[in-house]
Amino acid sequence: MSGTQAVADGCGAPADSALVTEAGNQAVVQGTVTQAGAPVSTGYARLLNSGGEFVAEVPLGSDGAFQFFAAPGDWTLRVLAPGGIRAEQGVTAAIGKISRVDVVV
Amino acid sequence: MSRSDVLVDAAWVEAHQGDPGIVLVEVDEDTSAYDKGHIRGAVKIDWKQDLQDPVRRDFVDKAGFEALLSKRGISNDDTVVLYGGNNNWFAAYAYWYFKLYGHHNVKLLDGGRKKWELDSRELVTEVPERAAAHYTAQEQDSSIRAFRDEVVAAIGAKNLIDVRSPDEFAGRLLAPAHLPQEQAQRGGHVPTAKNVPWSKAAEEDGTFKSDDALQALYAEAGVDFGTDTIAYCRIGERSAHTWFVFHELLGQQNVKNYDGSWTEYGSLVGVPIELGDGA
Repeated sequence: MSGTQAVADGCGAPADSALVTEAGNQAVVQGTVTQAGAPVSTGYARLLNSGGEFVAEVPLGSDGAFQFFAAPGDWTLRVLAPGGIRAEQGVTAAIGKISRVDVVV
Repeated sequence: MSRSDVLVDAAWVEAHQGDPGIVLVEVDEDTSAYDKGHIRGAVKIDWKQDLQDPVRRDFVDKAGFEALLSKRGISNDDTVVLYGGNNNWFAAYAYWYFKLYGHHNVKLLDGGRKKWELDSRELVTEVPERAAAHYTAQEQDSSIRAFRDEVVAAIGAKNLIDVRSPDEFAGRLLAPAHLPQEQAQRGGHVPTAKNVPWSKAAEEDGTFKSDDALQALYAEAGVDFGTDTIAYCRIGERSAHTWFVFHELLGQQNVKNYDGSWTEYGSLVGVPIELGDGA
């Protein structure tokens, strides 16, 4: 999963593809969601700003991965998955950096 | 028009998914979601391949819409139930198309694909075979579509609702945060536009908030329900979601979706742009 250049003119769910490995001039937030060591492939990652307001959401990839291109600053990553699973973790994004946030549910 | 005319829930879909005259349609930008699993009997519409003109920057014309629906086996008198990812953004966008081209009986599955998945309901990979139909569209209903000159004229005169995220509204981001940020255009928003992100109209599971909560949301943002309204976002699908709220759920008249949205407005020469978080 994750946004790639190919979908930059859309607003929607990006195609299933590898996470970026170079941040370039972006403030990348990426990670994976796992449960008991296995990827959670059905679920959603939501990015909330420092005020707790929703900013963006992506479906988890088949490997449990997610990725956002955020603005620099502090964010909260919230995971929703079937069975009423919810988890949250804080992350700080910076331009030119890939900030990892791996979530265990 | 009331909520039950335009929204159905999962129980309704499960009870009616095999009924003749009911066609389920999944609409996505990332159609690999459909390929991995969809609601039994649902056909797919690809937001980009099927709904956009391949050459001009515009959406599919009347003949193209007729050909698409005919090919999908959708008839004029079918009840079309749309759902999709991204909290129904693209399904709402398709809903707006169906209305533009005069299809009467169209509904959204409340919560879209997300709620269906989070509730662990059945998804199948089997693609239904539907015999081709003969669909006839009406001429576009221009009362629900805004063009750029109308948006410029609406500055300070009509409700302009920018439904993008606050960072996009302020000009700090040029795209939603799950997409790369490079764009050859200016950031900011149309002067006098109110920023009411589409997401404020939805619960976390993707369902629409109650009519009372929606009324309160827009009233609090300073929207005058006695005035005409134009909604926009970046490419017109998030604002189709808000158009649906105003026109279909709240029953507001004179509500238009500006599908050119920020990718057009933010690239126009000479139009006014406001930066920052707004008043």
